[in-house]
Amino acid sequence: MSISTALRHFKEPTKEELTQIFFSLPPTSGVPKSDNSSDEDVEKMEINAVLSVGEAEDSYAGKLHIMPPYLAFSSLDRKSVRFTIPLSTIRRVERLNARAGVYALSLLTWHGMKIIVQLTSLRPTADLFCSLLRDALKVELQRGQMKLVKGFVKTCYSELLISETSNAGDNEHEDGSLITDEKSGSRQEVSYHGGLGLKFKFPGDPKKLREGSKIKLWTTYLKTHGRNLTLLRYPQCTRLVQVGLPNRLRGEMWETLSGSIYLRFANPGYYERLLEEHKGRTTTSTDDIEKDLHRSLPEYAGYQSEDGINALRRVLRAYSFMNPELGYCQAMNILAAAILIYMSEEQAFWLLEVLCGRLLPGYYAPSMHGTLLDQRVFESLVQRYLPIIHDHFQAVDVQLSVASLPWFLSLYINSMPMVFAFRIVDCFFCMGPKVLFQVGLAILKINGEQLLQIQDDGGFLNLMRDYFASLGESAHPSSSDPRARAITVFQELLLVSFREFSIITDEIILSERKRFRSEIIHSIESFARRGAVRNLRTLGRFNKEQAGLIYDALYKAMCIVPPPPATAPPPTLLTTADGHHEERPETRIGLRTFRYFLSEIATWARDDKIVMNGFQQRLDREVAEHEFIDRLFYFWDTGCHGALSFQDLVSGLDGVMFNDLMDNIEWFFNLHDKNKDGFLTKDEVLTLSETFLFIFRYEIGDAYLGAVSRFMTNAFEYGDALLPQPEQSKSKDSNTEPESPPPVSSNQPYLNLATFRMVVLAEEVLESFFETDLSESFKLEHLPEMDLPLANSGILGDLWSSIATDSNKKIFNMFTDEIGKTIGKHQARLPPSDIHPGLN
Amino acid sequence: MADSASGSAADKSVQVKLVLLGEAAVGKSSVVLRFVSNEFQPNKEPTIGAAFLTQKCRLEDRILRYEIWDTAGQERFHSLAPMYYRNAQAAVVVYDVTKASSLEKAKSWVKELQRQANPNIVIALAGNKVDLVQSSASSSSAASPPESEDEADDATATPGETPGAAGEPESLRQVPREEAQAYATEAGLLFFETSAKTGEGIVDIFTEIAKKIPIEHILASTRGNAGRPGAGGSRAEGTRQQAVNLEEDPNKAKDACNC
Ligand SMILES: Nc1nc2c(ncn2[C@@H]2O[C@H](COP(=O)(O)OP(=O)(O)OP(=O)(O)O)[C@@H](O)[C@H]2O)c(=O)[nH]1
Ligand SMILES: [Mg+2]
Repeated sequence: MSISTALRHFKEPTKEELTQIFFSLPPTSGVPKSDNSSDEDVEKMEINAVLSVGEAEDSYAGKLHIMPPYLAFSSLDRKSVRFTIPLSTIRRVERLNARAGVYALSLLTWHGMKIIVQLTSLRPTADLFCSLLRDALKVELQRGQMKLVKGFVKTCYSELLISETSNAGDNEHEDGSLITDEKSGSRQEVSYHGGLGLKFKFPGDPKKLREGSKIKLWTTYLKTHGRNLTLLRYPQCTRLVQVGLPNRLRGEMWETLSGSIYLRFANPGYYERLLEEHKGRTTTSTDDIEKDLHRSLPEYAGYQSEDGINALRRVLRAYSFMNPELGYCQAMNILAAAILIYMSEEQAFWLLEVLCGRLLPGYYAPSMHGTLLDQRVFESLVQRYLPIIHDHFQAVDVQLSVASLPWFLSLYINSMPMVFAFRIVDCFFCMGPKVLFQVGLAILKINGEQLLQIQDDGGFLNLMRDYFASLGESAHPSSSDPRARAITVFQELLLVSFREFSIITDEIILSERKRFRSEIIHSIESFARRGAVRNLRTLGRFNKEQAGLIYDALYKAMCIVPPPPATAPPPTLLTTADGHHEERPETRIGLRTFRYFLSEIATWARDDKIVMNGFQQRLDREVAEHEFIDRLFYFWDTGCHGALSFQDLVSGLDGVMFNDLMDNIEWFFNLHDKNKDGFLTKDEVLTLSETFLFIFRYEIGDAYLGAVSRFMTNAFEYGDALLPQPEQSKSKDSNTEPESPPPVSSNQPYLNLATFRMVVLAEEVLESFFETDLSESFKLEHLPEMDLPLANSGILGDLWSSIATDSNKKIFNMFTDEIGKTIGKHQARLPPSDIHPGLN
Repeated sequence: MADSASGSAADKSVQVKLVLLGEAAVGKSSVVLRFVSNEFQPNKEPTIGAAFLTQKCRLEDRILRYEIWDTAGQERFHSLAPMYYRNAQAAVVVYDVTKASSLEKAKSWVKELQRQANPNIVIALAGNKVDLVQSSASSSSAASPPESEDEADDATATPGETPGAAGEPESLRQVPREEAQAYATEAGLLFFETSAKTGEGIVDIFTEIAKKIPIEHILASTRGNAGRPGAGGSRAEGTRQQAVNLEEDPNKAKDACNC
């Protein structure tokens, strides 16, 4: 059983991160850094600007951002126009002849495209921007990035397409796949990256797809608006994407639109190195990958050949090595197989990274929290925009997710015929994840009337299956207008998606995700909790509810003191006796987490102080550290793992919480009998006495102290008396000097259980300790709800959660304490013995 | 749609919701495909989320309409499973006889179903891919000699297994029949060894389940529920259903289903 607290560490993206996401920039952290990428703190800045290129396009007002090593622009509406280009593609920056009050820059790209930006902010701001730009360009030059551009763009098909002398079309089939000259065997040397489609043909009928005219339109666009690293996205770009990308260009446009091209540009050779480093390695993920290789778009010719299978294997393996925490999730094979038809392995690898990391966050994580969250978001959007359907589904108890989950998880590739799914994928990369929601809503809306007839999940799925099978048919077969008849069901779907559901914006998705995040985390966590309790080998004498409380304490402890990450043990260790790999090894906690865990349960394992400082009254809890607690840890570690599992904790607690007087005495004795020979050594008697003192440390008065010291005296007296005395030499000293007992070697058996019991029972205080107090010092209580990563409501809640990291809270408390002291209101006291009011 | 067809013969037909669970690639989808269309596809795509299929089955004078939910097997899809097994009246938990770990996974599914699902759910345990552990001579239903196509898909079906053992297929077996049978008896499950590839044992699963299902009760609750299969009813009236079940069972057990 594996327990994960990963969801607790979620943080809403900052404004800066949102900007990076918007411009499809690689995240500053998390993604592997290539050796030569600059990591120094770079200065970012944004400025108001008006963008124009040539005469072909209108000017657009918007914001220009410098985020080294990128320059980015977006129009004010954040959707008409935008670009993200690496600074290294800019060859010259000129300040244009200043007309009165106009401050304009001309940026010349490596291929001679001129981008004019007029900076409309105040003069000093513009000056500052220019100097930042100059510095950043210098850095790029020094890093040698400028020199890399030319080599890199050779890998892009668009360059071949637009070069004047191009004969790109000459060696292509109509669908864009390569014509191989069988006789001469002289496959034209291909320098650009392409996918399996080049060899195995692209899905779909090229005539129907109108490949030729699409390529022409794109060629024109790319000539005037830049391409690959330097693509400027004007409204026409989006329109062209919406009618479907041409096969040959599709892969490159996907990586350009999604921004994965920047990763490939910034990390040359990384993919190959990664594969090389992990050559021959097997992990749980690679095992799962093997199972699915032949089960990924099996109907496509490329995947009936070793070429395709090997490419798929390498890409999925490489990804799982780069991101072992995510590893491999079914459905990724479908995505990878799909994109590999249009792009090279390296391109696909980086696109997969962008998909799993940014575009579909948390979809494929072990908890699949992103999938569950977006399903919840989708449901709420249906409720808002298609309330009648939503109500009907509620009334007949149909779950939307039974159909929509695979839509999202496999970008519709698994649900629709490929040619249509790829068109949706085109739009998805161009316009972002909201497309998945827009299309989903449109599907429901279009099928609204029939949906109101369905009575159960099965009927819903059948209806959807029939609908997807009809996408290629006419939407209005009986119309008298031939133009209307020509409109396909699929075209209608896109129309409804982007016309009627253009109201679904990225902002809505983000805020809905925020709204439901804690709900989803709660349900995942309580599901995991139930599973953990159910999977216990034995509950001992606990009931399920009590075991749940133990789980809660464990979970809390893990949140606060995360156990060391279950470092993937060497493959041989992962393999269990019957030769299979565990998906996730059992979660075990180390000593530090255990101390925290115990402090939640055992009164003597914590030091509480009630603090009042005039602002707040709170309970400060420190985790006690004592040899006894460590001893307990190893005592419960019956499997000698050096760490404890949930089961160990349950069994351990079971061994003490239900004990009667005699059981407890024996338990306590065994706990201190390290070699389990039935005897305590003299040292162990001392340690045991110290344990008493530790447990009783907050008891007021000297009754306990007295009892313990009498216990020691008695224990040694009896112990000495019972000592075997065969050797004369030894007994001499001991008999003459009763004050100094005979020297007993440290590991010599000294006190047995019967004697120990007798000595204990001689002390009333100790007797009652073993009779009731010990067992009762373990308490399973409902823990107050832990703060989730985000607060749901209330100004105070927000304030508290905005400082709510643990260390911040400490600082806040210290701060108020200091003020409290200066105004004379600070006091700290011990809570009443063993009773701990639930203060916050 | 098929729904309306079965709806018109309402008084004689009964819908049974059945869910398939089990580790990834043990052959759940293949078992369903064999049952529903009597086909076998060597390379079935992994199931994403779940797939839904229906198949009718005759039992005496009754038509049973199975609504089959075929779920995804990978561990991380686990948290989605309750969505599919809620209200299910039957479950087939599949493991792969050539993979010991898959029986462990099956056991944990059974445990979960018994605690979390419909209290009267009928559970069958199916050890799939027995064709891999039968020498072709003794194989009952696949009397034909191994074709080349079969060889290829055997290799893909159990990656990592040494094909060197082909001479002695029994050595591929990791789960002895007796062991699984003993477990099934102890846990109160129906038990079968099956092969989606040859078809062996597949229909039997669904027939035996049909016999064990408390049909009268489902019918009663369905009628009272405007044609809805077991949804609310079966759970709420769990205790009564048990009593009905005990009486009805022997009568229904006579005929095999006619798929
Ligand atoms: N030899 C043999 N192979 C089988 C049999 N059943 C399934 N397979 C193969 O095993 C692989 C997995 O089968 P699926 O039916 O997709 O397995 P699944 O349990 O649905 O897998 P998930 O959907 O990933 O959970 C496929 O390659 C099948 O061809 C069988 O009875 N015999
Ligand atoms: Mg399947």
